[in-house]
Amino acid sequence: MQFGIFSVGDVTPDPTTGRVPDDTERVRSMLTIARHADEAGLDVFATGEHHNPPFVPSSPTTMLGYLAGVTKNIVLSTSTTLITTNDPVKIAEDYAMLQVIADGRTDLMMGRGNTGPVYPWFGKDIREGINLAIENYALLRRLWTEDVVDWEGKFRTPLQGFTSTPRPLDGVPPFVWHGSIRSPEIAEQAAYYGDGFFHNNIFWPIHHTRQMVRYYRQRFEHYGHGSADQAIVGLGGQVFMRANSQDAVREFRPYFDEAPVYGHGPSLEDFSAQTPLTVGSPQQVIDRYGAMREEVGDYQRQLFLMDHAGLPLKTVLEQIDILAEQVVPVLRREAEAARPAHVPAGPPSHADLVARAAGAAAAPVAPALAVTEEVAS
Amino acid sequence: MTARRIVALSAGLGRPSSTRMLAERLGEATVAALREQGVDARLEIVELRDVAHPIVDAMLTGFPSGPLRDVVDAVAGADAVVAVSPVFTASYSGLFKSFVDVLDPDALRGVPVLLGATGGTVRHSLALDHALRPLFAYLRADVATTAVFAATDDWATGSAAGAATSSGDGREAGSGETRADGGPLGERIRRAGRELAATVAARTPRVTQDPFGDVPSFESLLG
Repeated sequence: MQFGIFSVGDVTPDPTTGRVPDDTERVRSMLTIARHADEAGLDVFATGEHHNPPFVPSSPTTMLGYLAGVTKNIVLSTSTTLITTNDPVKIAEDYAMLQVIADGRTDLMMGRGNTGPVYPWFGKDIREGINLAIENYALLRRLWTEDVVDWEGKFRTPLQGFTSTPRPLDGVPPFVWHGSIRSPEIAEQAAYYGDGFFHNNIFWPIHHTRQMVRYYRQRFEHYGHGSADQAIVGLGGQVFMRANSQDAVREFRPYFDEAPVYGHGPSLEDFSAQTPLTVGSPQQVIDRYGAMREEVGDYQRQLFLMDHAGLPLKTVLEQIDILAEQVVPVLRREAEAARPAHVPAGPPSHADLVARAAGAAAAPVAPALAVTEEVAS
Repeated sequence: MTARRIVALSAGLGRPSSTRMLAERLGEATVAALREQGVDARLEIVELRDVAHPIVDAMLTGFPSGPLRDVVDAVAGADAVVAVSPVFTASYSGLFKSFVDVLDPDALRGVPVLLGATGGTVRHSLALDHALRPLFAYLRADVATTAVFAATDDWATGSAAGAATSSGDGREAGSGETRADGGPLGERIRRAGRELAATVAARTPRVTQDPFGDVPSFESLLG
Protein backbone atom coordinates (compact mmCIF):
# COMPACT_ATOMS: atom_id res chain seq x y z
CA MET A 1 0.00 0.00 0.00
CA GLN A 2 1.19 3.49 -0.83
CA PHE A 3 1.26 6.35 1.62
CA GLY A 4 1.87 9.89 0.58
CA ILE A 5 0.86 13.50 0.84
CA PHE A 6 -1.21 15.81 -1.29
CA SER A 7 -1.22 19.56 -1.33
CA VAL A 8 -3.89 22.05 -2.27
CA GLY A 9 -1.25 24.75 -2.50
CA ASP A 10 -3.27 27.33 -0.60
CA VAL A 11 -1.76 30.56 0.67
CA THR A 12 -3.31 30.88 4.11
CA PRO A 13 -2.23 33.25 6.89
CA ASP A 14 -0.80 31.55 9.95
CA PRO A 15 -3.57 32.39 12.43
CA THR A 16 -1.19 32.32 15.37
CA THR A 17 1.17 34.93 13.92
CA GLY A 18 -0.77 36.58 11.09
CA ARG A 19 2.13 35.88 8.77
CA VAL A 20 1.24 35.25 5.11
CA PRO A 21 3.76 33.72 2.72
CA ASP A 22 3.89 35.28 -0.74
CA ASP A 23 3.29 33.14 -3.82
CA THR A 24 6.99 32.57 -4.44
CA GLU A 25 7.57 31.39 -0.90
CA ARG A 26 4.55 29.10 -1.05
CA VAL A 27 5.63 27.48 -4.33
CA ARG A 28 9.10 26.92 -2.89
CA SER A 29 7.57 25.47 0.28
CA MET A 30 5.71 22.96 -1.83
CA LEU A 31 8.98 21.95 -3.50
CA THR A 32 10.68 21.60 -0.11
CA ILE A 33 7.77 19.55 1.22
CA ALA A 34 7.84 17.21 -1.77
CA ARG A 35 11.62 16.70 -1.53
CA HIS A 36 11.32 16.12 2.19
CA ALA A 37 8.56 13.55 1.66
CA ASP A 38 10.83 11.72 -0.81
CA GLU A 39 13.76 11.73 1.60
CA ALA A 40 11.51 10.59 4.46
CA GLY A 41 10.45 7.58 2.40
CA LEU A 42 6.84 8.45 1.60
CA ASP A 43 5.51 6.95 -1.61
CA VAL A 44 3.55 9.75 -3.28
CA PHE A 45 3.51 13.51 -3.64
CA ALA A 46 0.49 14.98 -5.41
CA THR A 47 -0.24 18.61 -6.16
CA GLY A 48 -3.57 20.22 -6.82
CA GLU A 49 -4.27 22.45 -9.80
CA HIS A 50 -5.87 25.83 -9.24
CA HIS A 51 -6.17 28.98 -11.27
CA ASN A 52 -7.16 31.54 -8.69
CA PRO A 53 -5.80 33.05 -5.49
CA PRO A 54 -5.23 32.02 -2.75
CA PHE A 55 -3.87 28.95 -4.53
CA VAL A 56 -0.48 28.83 -6.27
CA PRO A 57 -0.17 25.53 -8.20
CA SER A 58 -1.50 26.57 -11.61
CA SER A 59 1.12 24.64 -13.54
CA PRO A 60 1.51 21.16 -12.06
CA THR A 61 3.77 19.61 -14.69
CA THR A 62 6.30 22.44 -14.36
CA MET A 63 6.46 21.74 -10.64
CA LEU A 64 6.45 17.95 -10.98
CA GLY A 65 9.01 18.08 -13.80
CA TYR A 66 11.42 19.90 -11.51
CA LEU A 67 10.66 17.46 -8.69
CA ALA A 68 11.31 14.54 -11.02
CA GLY A 69 14.89 15.83 -11.30
CA VAL A 70 15.52 16.37 -7.60
CA THR A 71 13.71 13.39 -6.03
CA LYS A 72 14.62 9.72 -6.18
CA ASN A 73 11.77 7.37 -5.39
CA ILE A 74 8.57 9.24 -4.76
CA VAL A 75 5.72 8.90 -7.26
CA LEU A 76 4.72 12.32 -8.58
CA SER A 77 1.02 12.80 -9.07
CA THR A 78 -1.81 15.32 -9.12
CA SER A 79 -4.84 15.96 -6.97
CA THR A 80 -6.37 16.81 -9.32
CA THR A 81 -5.69 17.58 -12.98
CA LEU A 82 -8.65 19.50 -14.35
CA ILE A 83 -10.04 17.30 -17.09
CA THR A 84 -12.90 19.74 -17.63
CA THR A 85 -11.17 23.04 -18.35
CA ASN A 86 -7.78 21.89 -19.65
CA ASP A 87 -7.49 20.99 -23.30
CA PRO A 88 -7.13 17.20 -23.36
CA VAL A 89 -4.51 17.60 -26.08
CA LYS A 90 -2.37 19.69 -23.74
CA ILE A 91 -2.88 17.20 -20.90
CA ALA A 92 -1.78 14.37 -23.21
CA GLU A 93 1.37 16.30 -24.16
CA ASP A 94 2.24 17.66 -20.71
CA TYR A 95 1.83 14.41 -18.81
CA ALA A 96 3.55 12.29 -21.43
CA MET A 97 6.45 14.75 -21.23
CA LEU A 98 6.42 14.49 -17.44
CA GLN A 99 6.27 10.72 -17.62
CA VAL A 100 9.31 10.61 -19.90
CA ILE A 101 11.27 13.09 -17.76
CA ALA A 102 10.35 11.24 -14.53
CA ASP A 103 11.17 7.92 -16.17
CA GLY A 104 7.71 6.59 -15.37
CA ARG A 105 7.67 7.70 -11.74
CA THR A 106 4.37 9.48 -12.21
CA ASP A 107 0.64 9.04 -12.41
CA LEU A 108 -2.21 11.55 -12.34
CA MET A 109 -5.69 12.07 -11.04
CA MET A 110 -8.51 13.54 -13.08
CA GLY A 111 -10.93 15.89 -11.41
CA ARG A 112 -13.52 18.46 -12.30
CA GLY A 113 -12.35 21.11 -9.89
CA ASN A 114 -14.39 22.78 -7.24
CA THR A 115 -14.25 26.40 -8.37
CA GLY A 116 -17.23 27.42 -10.48
CA PRO A 117 -15.69 30.52 -12.09
CA VAL A 118 -12.74 28.54 -13.47
CA TYR A 119 -15.01 27.18 -16.22
CA PRO A 120 -15.78 30.51 -17.93
CA TRP A 121 -12.15 31.60 -17.49
CA PHE A 122 -11.23 28.76 -19.79
CA GLY A 123 -14.21 29.17 -22.07
CA LYS A 124 -16.20 26.27 -20.66
CA ASP A 125 -19.66 25.86 -19.19
CA ILE A 126 -19.88 24.43 -15.68
CA ARG A 127 -23.24 22.85 -16.45
CA GLU A 128 -21.34 20.59 -18.84
CA GLY A 129 -18.87 19.52 -16.12
CA ILE A 130 -19.62 15.81 -16.25
CA ASN A 131 -19.90 15.76 -20.04
CA LEU A 132 -16.59 17.61 -20.38
CA ALA A 133 -14.94 15.09 -18.04
CA ILE A 134 -16.28 12.23 -20.13
CA GLU A 135 -15.51 13.53 -23.61
CA ASN A 136 -12.13 15.03 -22.73
CA TYR A 137 -10.92 11.88 -21.02
CA ALA A 138 -12.07 9.66 -23.86
CA LEU A 139 -10.00 11.83 -26.22
CA LEU A 140 -7.02 11.91 -23.84
CA ARG A 141 -6.89 8.12 -23.79
CA ARG A 142 -6.95 7.94 -27.56
CA LEU A 143 -4.17 10.53 -27.82
CA TRP A 144 -2.00 8.37 -25.57
CA THR A 145 -2.83 4.99 -27.04
CA GLU A 146 -3.18 5.77 -30.76
CA ASP A 147 -0.32 7.28 -32.72
CA VAL A 148 -2.56 9.10 -35.17
CA VAL A 149 -5.96 10.37 -34.10
CA ASP A 150 -8.93 11.55 -36.13
CA TRP A 151 -11.46 12.93 -33.73
CA GLU A 152 -14.57 15.04 -33.55
CA GLY A 153 -16.58 15.91 -30.43
CA LYS A 154 -18.77 18.52 -28.82
CA PHE A 155 -16.33 20.61 -26.83
CA ARG A 156 -13.16 20.99 -28.87
CA THR A 157 -12.13 21.68 -32.43
CA PRO A 158 -11.84 18.44 -34.41
CA LEU A 159 -8.50 16.72 -34.95
CA GLN A 160 -7.36 15.25 -38.26
CA GLY A 161 -4.31 13.03 -38.34
CA PHE A 162 -3.09 14.44 -35.03
CA THR A 163 -0.19 12.91 -33.13
CA SER A 164 0.44 13.92 -29.54
CA THR A 165 4.14 14.03 -28.67
CA PRO A 166 6.19 12.82 -26.96
CA ARG A 167 4.63 9.39 -27.22
CA PRO A 168 4.14 7.87 -23.75
CA LEU A 169 7.16 6.20 -22.19
CA ASP A 170 7.56 2.63 -23.48
CA GLY A 171 4.26 3.09 -25.32
CA VAL A 172 2.34 2.90 -22.04
CA PRO A 173 0.32 5.86 -20.72
CA PRO A 174 0.62 6.84 -17.06
CA PHE A 175 -1.84 5.27 -14.65
CA VAL A 176 -4.92 7.42 -14.16
CA TRP A 177 -7.10 7.97 -11.10
CA HIS A 178 -10.44 9.70 -11.13
CA GLY A 179 -11.19 11.83 -8.12
CA SER A 180 -14.70 12.65 -7.08
CA ILE A 181 -16.51 13.38 -3.88
CA ARG A 182 -20.16 13.32 -4.79
CA SER A 183 -20.63 12.27 -8.42
CA PRO A 184 -21.31 8.59 -9.02
CA GLU A 185 -20.84 9.27 -12.75
CA ILE A 186 -17.11 9.72 -12.10
CA ALA A 187 -16.92 6.49 -10.10
CA GLU A 188 -18.69 4.93 -13.08
CA GLN A 189 -16.09 6.41 -15.43
CA ALA A 190 -13.19 5.09 -13.35
CA ALA A 191 -14.82 1.65 -13.23
CA TYR A 192 -15.52 1.60 -16.96
CA TYR A 193 -11.87 2.13 -17.85
CA GLY A 194 -10.50 0.02 -15.02
CA ASP A 195 -8.74 3.15 -13.72
CA GLY A 196 -8.25 4.05 -10.07
CA PHE A 197 -10.89 5.83 -8.00
CA PHE A 198 -9.82 8.33 -5.39
CA HIS A 199 -12.39 9.53 -2.91
CA ASN A 200 -11.18 12.75 -1.40
CA ASN A 201 -13.01 12.21 1.86
CA ILE A 202 -11.16 14.75 4.01
CA PHE A 203 -14.29 16.83 4.53
CA TRP A 204 -16.79 13.97 4.38
CA PRO A 205 -18.24 11.38 6.72
CA ILE A 206 -17.04 7.82 6.21
CA HIS A 207 -20.52 6.47 5.44
CA HIS A 208 -20.52 8.59 2.29
CA THR A 209 -17.03 7.41 1.33
CA ARG A 210 -18.07 3.81 1.89
CA GLN A 211 -21.06 4.18 -0.46
CA MET A 212 -19.04 5.79 -3.24
CA VAL A 213 -16.22 3.25 -3.03
CA ARG A 214 -18.65 0.33 -2.91
CA TYR A 215 -20.37 1.63 -6.01
CA TYR A 216 -17.04 2.00 -7.86
CA ARG A 217 -15.98 -1.50 -6.84
CA GLN A 218 -19.25 -3.05 -8.04
CA ARG A 219 -19.00 -1.27 -11.39
CA PHE A 220 -15.31 -2.18 -11.77
CA GLU A 221 -16.31 -5.81 -11.51
CA HIS A 222 -19.29 -5.27 -13.81
CA TYR A 223 -16.99 -3.98 -16.55
CA GLY A 224 -14.82 -7.07 -16.27
CA HIS A 225 -11.59 -5.63 -14.92
CA GLY A 226 -11.43 -8.06 -12.03
CA SER A 227 -13.32 -8.72 -8.84
CA ALA A 228 -14.68 -5.79 -6.83
CA ASP A 229 -11.97 -6.15 -4.21
CA GLN A 230 -9.29 -5.81 -6.88
CA ALA A 231 -10.41 -2.32 -7.89
CA ILE A 232 -7.84 0.42 -7.24
CA VAL A 233 -8.98 2.71 -4.47
CA GLY A 234 -7.38 5.77 -2.90
CA LEU A 235 -8.49 7.88 0.05
CA GLY A 236 -7.59 11.25 1.44
CA GLY A 237 -6.80 12.01 5.04
CA GLN A 238 -5.89 14.77 7.41
CA VAL A 239 -3.84 14.43 10.56
CA PHE A 240 -1.89 16.46 13.07
CA MET A 241 0.34 14.62 15.50
CA ARG A 242 2.44 15.18 18.58
CA ALA A 243 3.83 12.53 20.92
CA ASN A 244 1.29 13.67 23.49
CA SER A 245 -2.23 13.93 22.06
CA GLN A 246 -3.18 16.92 24.23
CA ASP A 247 -0.22 18.80 22.78
CA ALA A 248 -1.42 18.02 19.26
CA VAL A 249 -4.91 19.33 20.02
CA ARG A 250 -3.60 22.45 21.73
CA GLU A 251 -1.22 23.27 18.88
CA PHE A 252 -3.61 22.50 16.02
CA ARG A 253 -6.83 24.02 17.39
CA PRO A 254 -6.09 27.64 16.41
CA TYR A 255 -5.33 26.44 12.87
CA PHE A 256 -8.49 24.36 12.79
CA ASP A 257 -10.67 27.18 14.12
CA GLU A 258 -9.52 29.52 11.33
CA ALA A 259 -9.13 26.97 8.54
CA PRO A 260 -10.46 28.16 5.17
CA VAL A 261 -12.91 25.32 4.59
CA TYR A 262 -14.43 24.42 7.95
CA GLY A 263 -13.23 27.25 10.19
CA HIS A 264 -15.81 29.00 12.34
CA GLY A 265 -18.06 25.97 11.90
CA PRO A 266 -18.05 22.72 13.85
CA SER A 267 -15.71 22.20 16.76
CA LEU A 268 -12.46 20.32 16.25
CA GLU A 269 -13.96 17.44 18.23
CA ASP A 270 -17.19 17.32 16.17
CA PHE A 271 -15.36 17.56 12.87
CA SER A 272 -12.89 14.87 13.92
CA ALA A 273 -15.78 12.57 14.78
CA GLN A 274 -17.47 13.18 11.41
CA THR A 275 -14.46 13.16 9.06
CA PRO A 276 -11.05 11.43 8.86
CA LEU A 277 -9.38 14.41 10.58
CA THR A 278 -7.33 12.96 13.41
CA VAL A 279 -5.50 15.21 15.83
CA GLY A 280 -3.56 13.35 18.48
CA SER A 281 -0.74 10.91 19.01
CA PRO A 282 0.81 8.83 16.21
CA GLN A 283 -0.90 5.79 17.74
CA GLN A 284 -4.31 7.46 17.40
CA VAL A 285 -3.59 8.08 13.73
CA ILE A 286 -2.53 4.45 13.31
CA ASP A 287 -5.74 3.25 14.97
CA ARG A 288 -7.98 5.49 12.89
CA TYR A 289 -6.40 4.90 9.49
CA GLY A 290 -5.68 1.24 10.12
CA ALA A 291 -9.44 0.80 10.46
CA MET A 292 -10.27 2.49 7.13
CA ARG A 293 -9.97 -0.85 5.32
CA GLU A 294 -12.91 -2.08 7.39
CA GLU A 295 -15.02 0.64 5.75
CA VAL A 296 -13.83 0.60 2.14
CA GLY A 297 -11.97 -2.71 1.79
CA ASP A 298 -8.25 -3.17 1.20
CA TYR A 299 -7.12 -0.09 -0.67
CA GLN A 300 -4.02 0.97 -2.49
CA ARG A 301 -3.23 4.60 -1.75
CA GLN A 302 -3.64 6.82 1.27
CA LEU A 303 -2.79 10.49 0.84
CA PHE A 304 -2.58 12.95 3.72
CA LEU A 305 -3.11 16.68 3.55
CA MET A 306 -0.29 18.15 5.64
CA ASP A 307 0.44 21.69 4.43
CA HIS A 308 -2.76 23.58 5.01
CA ALA A 309 -4.59 25.98 7.30
CA GLY A 310 -1.52 28.22 7.46
CA LEU A 311 0.75 25.75 9.26
CA PRO A 312 4.37 26.94 9.08
CA LEU A 313 6.76 25.03 6.83
CA LYS A 314 8.85 23.85 9.76
CA THR A 315 5.78 22.27 11.37
CA VAL A 316 4.75 20.61 8.12
CA LEU A 317 8.19 19.06 7.74
CA GLU A 318 8.03 17.78 11.33
CA GLN A 319 4.62 16.28 10.62
CA ILE A 320 5.98 14.52 7.55
CA ASP A 321 8.76 13.04 9.69
CA ILE A 322 6.33 11.78 12.33
CA LEU A 323 4.12 10.33 9.61
CA ALA A 324 6.99 8.63 7.80
CA GLU A 325 8.82 7.37 10.89
CA GLN A 326 6.10 6.43 13.34
CA VAL A 327 2.86 5.96 11.44
CA VAL A 328 3.42 4.72 7.90
CA PRO A 329 5.69 1.75 8.74
CA VAL A 330 3.03 0.37 11.09
CA LEU A 331 0.12 1.06 8.73
CA ARG A 332 2.06 -0.47 5.84
CA ARG A 333 2.83 -3.61 7.82
CA GLU A 334 -0.76 -3.96 9.03
CA ALA A 335 -2.21 -3.39 5.55
CA GLU A 336 0.17 -5.89 4.01
CA ALA A 337 -0.66 -8.50 6.65
CA ALA A 338 -4.39 -8.06 6.13
CA ARG A 339 -4.41 -7.92 2.34
CA PRO A 340 -5.56 -11.08 0.52
CA ALA A 341 -3.06 -12.28 -2.09
CA HIS A 342 -5.32 -11.55 -5.06
CA VAL A 343 -5.76 -7.87 -4.10
CA PRO A 344 -3.17 -5.51 -5.59
CA ALA A 345 -0.80 -4.05 -3.00
CA GLY A 346 -0.67 -0.73 -4.80
CA PRO A 347 -1.78 0.95 -7.99
CA PRO A 348 0.11 -0.33 -11.03
CA SER A 349 3.57 1.19 -11.42
CA HIS A 350 5.00 2.03 -14.83
CA ALA A 351 6.85 -1.30 -14.84
CA ASP A 352 3.59 -3.12 -14.02
CA LEU A 353 1.82 -1.37 -16.90
CA VAL A 354 4.64 -2.21 -19.30
CA ALA A 355 4.48 -5.86 -18.23
CA ARG A 356 0.68 -5.85 -18.54
CA ALA A 357 0.90 -4.38 -22.06
CA ALA A 358 3.44 -7.01 -23.05
CA GLY A 359 1.18 -9.72 -21.65
CA ALA A 360 -1.82 -8.31 -23.49
CA ALA A 361 0.16 -8.23 -26.75
CA ALA A 362 1.08 -11.89 -26.25
CA ALA A 363 -2.50 -12.86 -25.42
CA PRO A 364 -4.75 -10.35 -27.15
CA VAL A 365 -7.98 -11.79 -25.77
CA ALA A 366 -7.19 -11.14 -22.10
CA PRO A 367 -10.65 -10.88 -20.55
CA ALA A 368 -10.44 -7.33 -19.20
CA LEU A 369 -9.19 -5.93 -22.48
CA ALA A 370 -11.74 -7.84 -24.54
CA VAL A 371 -14.65 -6.49 -22.52
CA THR A 372 -13.37 -2.93 -22.71
CA GLU A 373 -13.08 -3.02 -26.46
CA GLU A 374 -16.41 -4.67 -26.95
CA VAL A 375 -18.11 -1.98 -24.89
CA ALA A 376 -16.24 0.86 -26.53
CA SER A 377 -17.02 -0.18 -30.10
CA MET B 1 -49.09 -2.22 4.98
CA THR B 2 -46.38 0.08 6.32
CA ALA B 3 -47.47 3.17 8.17
CA ARG B 4 -47.24 6.43 6.26
CA ARG B 5 -44.58 8.69 7.64
CA ILE B 6 -45.65 12.24 8.41
CA VAL B 7 -42.81 14.58 9.43
CA ALA B 8 -43.80 17.84 11.11
CA LEU B 9 -41.06 20.48 11.15
CA SER B 10 -41.18 23.35 13.58
CA ALA B 11 -38.79 26.27 13.35
CA GLY B 12 -40.07 27.72 16.61
CA LEU B 13 -37.46 28.96 19.02
CA GLY B 14 -39.38 29.31 22.27
CA ARG B 15 -40.00 26.66 24.89
CA PRO B 16 -42.90 26.16 24.90
CA SER B 17 -43.37 27.22 21.31
CA SER B 18 -46.64 28.05 19.61
CA THR B 19 -44.96 27.16 16.30
CA ARG B 20 -44.27 23.67 17.61
CA MET B 21 -47.83 23.49 18.89
CA LEU B 22 -49.19 24.33 15.45
CA ALA B 23 -46.87 21.83 13.74
CA GLU B 24 -47.94 19.15 16.19
CA ARG B 25 -51.65 19.86 15.73
CA LEU B 26 -51.38 19.93 11.94
CA GLY B 27 -49.50 16.65 12.06
CA GLU B 28 -52.02 15.07 14.42
CA ALA B 29 -54.94 16.30 12.29
CA THR B 30 -53.33 14.69 9.25
CA VAL B 31 -52.76 11.39 11.02
CA ALA B 32 -56.33 11.44 12.39
CA ALA B 33 -57.79 12.11 8.95
CA LEU B 34 -55.70 9.32 7.46
CA ARG B 35 -56.86 6.89 10.13
CA GLU B 36 -60.47 7.80 9.35
CA GLN B 37 -59.75 6.51 5.87
CA GLY B 38 -58.16 3.38 7.25
CA VAL B 39 -54.63 4.48 6.43
CA ASP B 40 -52.10 3.91 9.16
CA ALA B 41 -49.76 6.84 9.74
CA ARG B 42 -46.99 7.77 12.11
CA LEU B 43 -46.12 11.33 13.12
CA GLU B 44 -42.59 12.53 13.80
CA ILE B 45 -42.19 16.02 15.15
CA VAL B 46 -38.87 17.76 14.59
CA GLU B 47 -37.88 20.96 16.30
CA LEU B 48 -35.22 22.59 14.16
CA ARG B 49 -34.00 24.41 17.24
CA ASP B 50 -32.43 21.12 18.36
CA VAL B 51 -30.30 20.98 15.22
CA ALA B 52 -29.63 24.70 14.85
CA HIS B 53 -25.86 24.35 15.30
CA PRO B 54 -25.53 21.35 12.95
CA ILE B 55 -27.51 23.35 10.35
CA VAL B 56 -24.90 26.12 10.44
CA ASP B 57 -22.12 23.51 10.41
CA ALA B 58 -23.67 21.88 7.36
CA MET B 59 -23.71 25.20 5.53
CA LEU B 60 -19.98 25.56 6.24
CA THR B 61 -18.83 21.97 5.77
CA GLY B 62 -21.24 20.80 3.07
CA PHE B 63 -22.59 17.74 4.85
CA PRO B 64 -25.21 17.24 7.58
CA SER B 65 -23.70 15.80 10.73
CA GLY B 66 -25.07 13.63 13.51
CA PRO B 67 -28.65 14.44 14.50
CA LEU B 68 -29.18 16.69 11.47
CA ARG B 69 -28.48 13.77 9.19
CA ASP B 70 -31.32 11.87 10.83
CA VAL B 71 -33.66 14.82 10.25
CA VAL B 72 -32.60 15.20 6.62
CA ASP B 73 -33.10 11.47 6.11
CA ALA B 74 -36.52 11.67 7.78
CA VAL B 75 -37.60 14.41 5.36
CA ALA B 76 -36.18 12.48 2.42
CA GLY B 77 -38.23 9.46 3.44
CA ALA B 78 -41.44 11.25 4.48
CA ASP B 79 -44.80 10.57 2.83
CA ALA B 80 -45.80 14.09 3.77
CA VAL B 81 -44.18 17.06 5.46
CA VAL B 82 -45.79 19.67 7.69
CA ALA B 83 -43.57 22.76 7.64
CA VAL B 84 -44.22 25.50 10.16
CA SER B 85 -42.20 28.64 10.68
CA PRO B 86 -42.66 31.66 12.87
CA VAL B 87 -42.89 34.86 10.84
CA PHE B 88 -39.79 36.94 11.46
CA THR B 89 -39.44 40.32 9.77
CA ALA B 90 -42.14 39.58 7.21
CA SER B 91 -40.94 36.11 6.18
CA TYR B 92 -40.00 32.62 7.34
CA SER B 93 -37.32 32.58 10.00
CA GLY B 94 -33.64 32.30 9.15
CA LEU B 95 -33.43 28.92 10.86
CA PHE B 96 -36.31 27.61 8.78
CA LYS B 97 -34.75 28.78 5.51
CA SER B 98 -31.30 27.54 6.50
CA PHE B 99 -32.71 24.08 7.08
CA VAL B 100 -34.43 24.12 3.71
CA ASP B 101 -31.13 25.25 2.19
CA VAL B 102 -29.22 22.22 3.49
CA LEU B 103 -31.81 19.78 2.12
CA ASP B 104 -31.08 18.10 -1.17
CA PRO B 105 -32.85 20.22 -3.81
CA ASP B 106 -34.88 17.16 -4.83
CA ALA B 107 -35.73 16.04 -1.29
CA LEU B 108 -39.27 17.45 -1.46
CA ARG B 109 -39.97 17.04 -5.16
CA GLY B 110 -43.56 15.87 -5.50
CA VAL B 111 -43.90 15.39 -1.74
CA PRO B 112 -47.23 16.51 -0.19
CA VAL B 113 -46.51 19.50 2.04
CA LEU B 114 -48.73 21.40 4.42
CA LEU B 115 -47.59 24.89 5.33
CA GLY B 116 -48.09 26.70 8.60
CA ALA B 117 -46.87 29.89 10.18
CA THR B 118 -47.24 31.71 13.46
CA GLY B 119 -47.01 35.37 14.35
CA GLY B 120 -47.99 37.99 16.84
CA THR B 121 -50.90 39.29 14.81
CA VAL B 122 -52.88 38.18 11.80
CA ARG B 123 -51.37 41.03 9.80
CA HIS B 124 -48.46 38.61 9.09
CA SER B 125 -50.63 35.85 7.69
CA LEU B 126 -49.84 36.52 4.04
CA ALA B 127 -46.23 35.53 4.71
CA LEU B 128 -47.56 32.02 4.08
CA ASP B 129 -48.50 32.86 0.52
CA HIS B 130 -45.82 35.42 -0.22
CA ALA B 131 -42.84 33.60 1.28
CA LEU B 132 -43.42 29.96 2.18
CA ARG B 133 -45.51 28.96 -0.81
CA PRO B 134 -43.06 30.20 -3.48
CA LEU B 135 -40.19 28.53 -1.62
CA PHE B 136 -41.93 25.17 -1.78
CA ALA B 137 -43.06 25.78 -5.34
CA TYR B 138 -39.39 26.16 -6.23
CA LEU B 139 -38.70 22.82 -4.54
CA ARG B 140 -41.56 21.36 -6.59
CA ALA B 141 -43.36 20.12 -3.51
CA ASP B 142 -47.06 19.27 -3.79
CA VAL B 143 -48.32 22.02 -1.48
CA ALA B 144 -51.80 21.73 0.06
CA THR B 145 -54.21 24.50 -0.89
CA THR B 146 -54.96 25.35 2.71
CA ALA B 147 -52.15 26.77 4.76
CA VAL B 148 -52.68 27.62 8.39
CA PHE B 149 -51.65 30.79 10.13
CA ALA B 150 -51.97 31.06 13.89
CA ALA B 151 -51.69 34.45 15.53
CA THR B 152 -51.42 34.88 19.27
CA ASP B 153 -55.14 35.67 19.46
CA ASP B 154 -56.08 32.43 17.72
CA TRP B 155 -54.73 30.42 20.62
CA ALA B 156 -57.05 32.35 22.94
CA THR B 157 -60.18 31.55 20.96
CA GLY B 158 -61.20 28.46 22.82
CA SER B 159 -63.87 25.88 22.65
CA ALA B 160 -66.73 28.36 22.84
CA ALA B 161 -66.02 29.54 19.32
CA GLY B 162 -65.19 25.95 18.47
CA ALA B 163 -68.67 24.87 19.35
CA ALA B 164 -70.07 27.47 16.99
CA THR B 165 -68.11 26.09 14.05
CA SER B 166 -68.43 22.44 14.87
CA SER B 167 -71.56 21.94 12.82
CA GLY B 168 -69.82 23.39 9.80
CA ASP B 169 -66.92 21.09 10.45
CA GLY B 170 -69.15 18.07 10.71
CA ARG B 171 -70.92 18.91 7.47
CA GLU B 172 -67.67 19.30 5.60
CA ALA B 173 -65.97 16.21 6.93
CA GLY B 174 -69.01 14.01 6.78
CA SER B 175 -67.68 12.35 9.87
CA GLY B 176 -69.33 11.65 13.16
CA GLU B 177 -66.04 11.88 15.03
CA THR B 178 -65.27 15.54 14.54
CA ARG B 179 -63.54 17.30 17.37
CA ALA B 180 -65.44 20.33 18.44
CA ASP B 181 -62.58 22.11 20.21
CA GLY B 182 -60.07 24.65 19.02
CA GLY B 183 -62.29 27.36 17.64
CA PRO B 184 -61.76 28.71 14.13
CA LEU B 185 -58.07 27.77 14.33
CA GLY B 186 -59.00 24.20 15.23
CA GLU B 187 -61.32 24.13 12.27
CA ARG B 188 -58.64 25.38 9.89
CA ILE B 189 -56.19 22.83 11.29
CA ARG B 190 -58.64 19.99 10.70
CA ARG B 191 -59.43 21.18 7.18
CA ALA B 192 -55.73 21.41 6.35
CA GLY B 193 -55.12 17.97 7.85
CA ARG B 194 -57.91 16.47 5.77
CA GLU B 195 -56.50 18.01 2.59
CA LEU B 196 -53.02 16.70 3.25
CA ALA B 197 -54.38 13.29 4.26
CA ALA B 198 -56.41 13.04 1.05
CA THR B 199 -53.28 13.67 -1.02
CA VAL B 200 -51.24 11.17 0.97
CA ALA B 201 -53.94 8.50 0.89
CA ALA B 202 -54.19 8.74 -2.89
CA ARG B 203 -50.53 7.83 -3.25
CA THR B 204 -48.45 4.74 -2.78
CA PRO B 205 -46.05 4.88 0.19
CA ARG B 206 -42.84 6.72 -0.57
CA VAL B 207 -39.86 4.57 -1.40
CA THR B 208 -36.50 5.98 -0.37
CA GLN B 209 -34.39 6.57 -3.43
CA ASP B 210 -31.12 4.72 -3.84
CA PRO B 211 -28.62 7.52 -4.57
CA PHE B 212 -26.87 5.21 -7.03
CA GLY B 213 -30.08 3.83 -8.49
CA ASP B 214 -30.33 6.18 -11.46
CA VAL B 215 -26.71 6.60 -12.45
CA PRO B 216 -26.62 6.13 -16.20
CA SER B 217 -24.29 3.42 -17.45
CA PHE B 218 -21.06 4.67 -18.92
CA GLU B 219 -22.05 3.55 -22.40
CA SER B 220 -24.94 5.99 -22.31
CA LEU B 221 -22.76 8.71 -20.77
CA LEU B 222 -20.31 8.30 -23.65
CA GLY B 223 -23.23 8.81 -26.01
